[in-house]
Amino acid sequence: MSIERKDEHDHEAWMEGKDLSPIEEVYLTTLIWMDRRLRIVDYLEMLEDMYYKTNLQMPKSHTEQYNLDNKFWYWYPLYALGSFSTIAYVVAAISGALLGFYYAPSTATTEGARTVAYSNVLFIMGDLNFGFFLRSLHRWSAQVMTAAVFLHMLRVYFTGAYKEPRELNWILGIVLISLTMVFGYTGYLLPWSQLSYWAGQIGVEMALSIPLIGEWVAQLIFGGFSLGEATLQRMYILHVFVLPFVVTALIAIHIGIVWMQGIAEPH
Amino acid sequence: MSDKEPKPDGGIVPQDDQAPTWSERKERTQGLARLTYEYFERSRREDEELRKESDYVERDVLAFPTWPHEMIRNLAITSFFVGLMFFIAAAIPIGVPEPANPNSTPAVILPDWYLYWSFGLLKLPPLNPELSLLGGEKLLADRTYGVLANLVVVGAIAIVPFLNKGNARRPVEEPFWASIGVGGVVFAFTIAVLAVKNLVAGTFPLGNHELFDLTFLLPVVAGFITYGVLKAMREGYMFELNRRYYRLRPPK
Repeated sequence: MSIERKDEHDHEAWMEGKDLSPIEEVYLTTLIWMDRRLRIVDYLEMLEDMYYKTNLQMPKSHTEQYNLDNKFWYWYPLYALGSFSTIAYVVAAISGALLGFYYAPSTATTEGARTVAYSNVLFIMGDLNFGFFLRSLHRWSAQVMTAAVFLHMLRVYFTGAYKEPRELNWILGIVLISLTMVFGYTGYLLPWSQLSYWAGQIGVEMALSIPLIGEWVAQLIFGGFSLGEATLQRMYILHVFVLPFVVTALIAIHIGIVWMQGIAEPH
Repeated sequence: MSDKEPKPDGGIVPQDDQAPTWSERKERTQGLARLTYEYFERSRREDEELRKESDYVERDVLAFPTWPHEMIRNLAITSFFVGLMFFIAAAIPIGVPEPANPNSTPAVILPDWYLYWSFGLLKLPPLNPELSLLGGEKLLADRTYGVLANLVVVGAIAIVPFLNKGNARRPVEEPFWASIGVGGVVFAFTIAVLAVKNLVAGTFPLGNHELFDLTFLLPVVAGFITYGVLKAMREGYMFELNRRYYRLRPPK
C-alpha cells in the first residue's frame, strides 16, 4: 500500500485551498507563471538588501553632536554647485543631441568654398528654427557647467571635504574636471571656424612637444601632425561618442560615492 | 502551520555533513584569495567590535519628507537653473564665427576662458633654466616645459588629500592650507591674465616684465595676507569653540 506523497510544489492545489477573489486569482496565476520562468524570488533578497542600503543613515555628525551649526550656514549655497554642474551637463547633453541632427563633421568644401562643418553651423544659426537659440544654449550650458565645476572644486578645497576618507573622490573629481575641459576643447574645434582651427593648431603643437610619445599622441588625438579631415572627425567622435559615455559613467560613480560616504560637513 | 501552507525553505536540499561551510571552503584556499578572505574576516570583526563599543545611539532622523516636499523643492531648483541657462542663452546670444583660414594666422589665438590658465603655463619658458652643465643648453624644449607645467599643477592638486591629514575642516582651522588654496586661485587668475596679455595690454599700463613678475608675486602676497588674517581670526574662534566644548563636556 503506497500513500502518494503530497506535492510541495503543486501551486494549483494550494490556490484552490484558499478562497481567492478573481483579481487575486489572476494576479497569483500571473505571478506564479512569471516566477516559474524568471525566478523572481531570487531577486527579492537583492531588492531588500538594496532597500536597506539606500536607507542607511550616517552617524550623528560632529556638527549635530556639539550643536555647531550656527557657524557655517553661509556655506550652504555653495553646496549646490555640484548639483548645478550636473544639471548644466544634462542641458548641454540634450541641446547637443538636438544640434547633432543638423551637423556633419567634414572639412570637404561645399559651393562657396566653405567647409561642410562650418556651413552646417551657419545653417543652424541662420536657417534652422530656434537653431540660433539651440547653439547658444549648448554653448552657454557648457560654459556654466565648467564654471560651476571649478567653483565646486574650490568649495570642496576650502571646506576640507577632500580629506580622508574622500581622497579617491577628489582624484576622480580631478579626472572629471580635466575631462570637462577636454569636452569643451573638442567642442570648440567642431565649428571649424578660425578660432577653432588655431586652437587646434596649438593643441597639435602641445601634443607634439610631449617627450618620447608626442608624435604618437598627436596621431591618436588629432589624426596627424597638421589639421585636416581626420582631426575634425576625431574631435567629433570624442565629443559625441567617447566622452559622453565616459564622463556620464564617472559622474554617476562620483555622485554614488558621495551618496555612500555622505556630505562632508565642516566641523 | 497547516500542511496546506508551503514550507519556508521549499525545494532547497539541505547540505549533508560532508559539505564544507562557507568559511571552511574559504579557509582551504591559498595565496591571495586566502589573504583576501582573512582580511575581510578581520575587517568584519573590527567593524563589529567598533559598533559594540561605540556610544553612538541609533535614532530616528527627523527629516523633511522626500515626497512630495523634497521632490518639489528639487524640481523648483532644477527648473530655476535650467530657466536661468535658457535666459542667458536667449539674452546673450553667441556671435557667428569666422570660417577657418589655414593661411592667415590670427593676431590673437585663444582657447575658451577655462583653458587660459593652461595656455598661460605655455608662456613660462623664461623660467626654463639654462643649465651650465650642458653649456647653456636647456634640458627641455620650451614648449615641452610648458606642457609639463600643466602636469605639475594637476599633480599638485591631486596630492593635497594625501598631504593634509587630520579632521580640521574650516579655513580658520588650517590657515596654512587655506592660504595655499587662495594663492592657487590667485595664481590661476594671474596666469590667465598673462595668457591674454595681448588683450589686456591696454588695460594695465604694465611692461611685459612687470606683468610676468606680478603673475608670481601676487599669489604669494595673497597667500601671506590670507595666512595673517586667518591666524588672527583663529584666536577668537578657537576660544569660542573651546568654551562651548568645555561647557558641554566638563574636563575630568
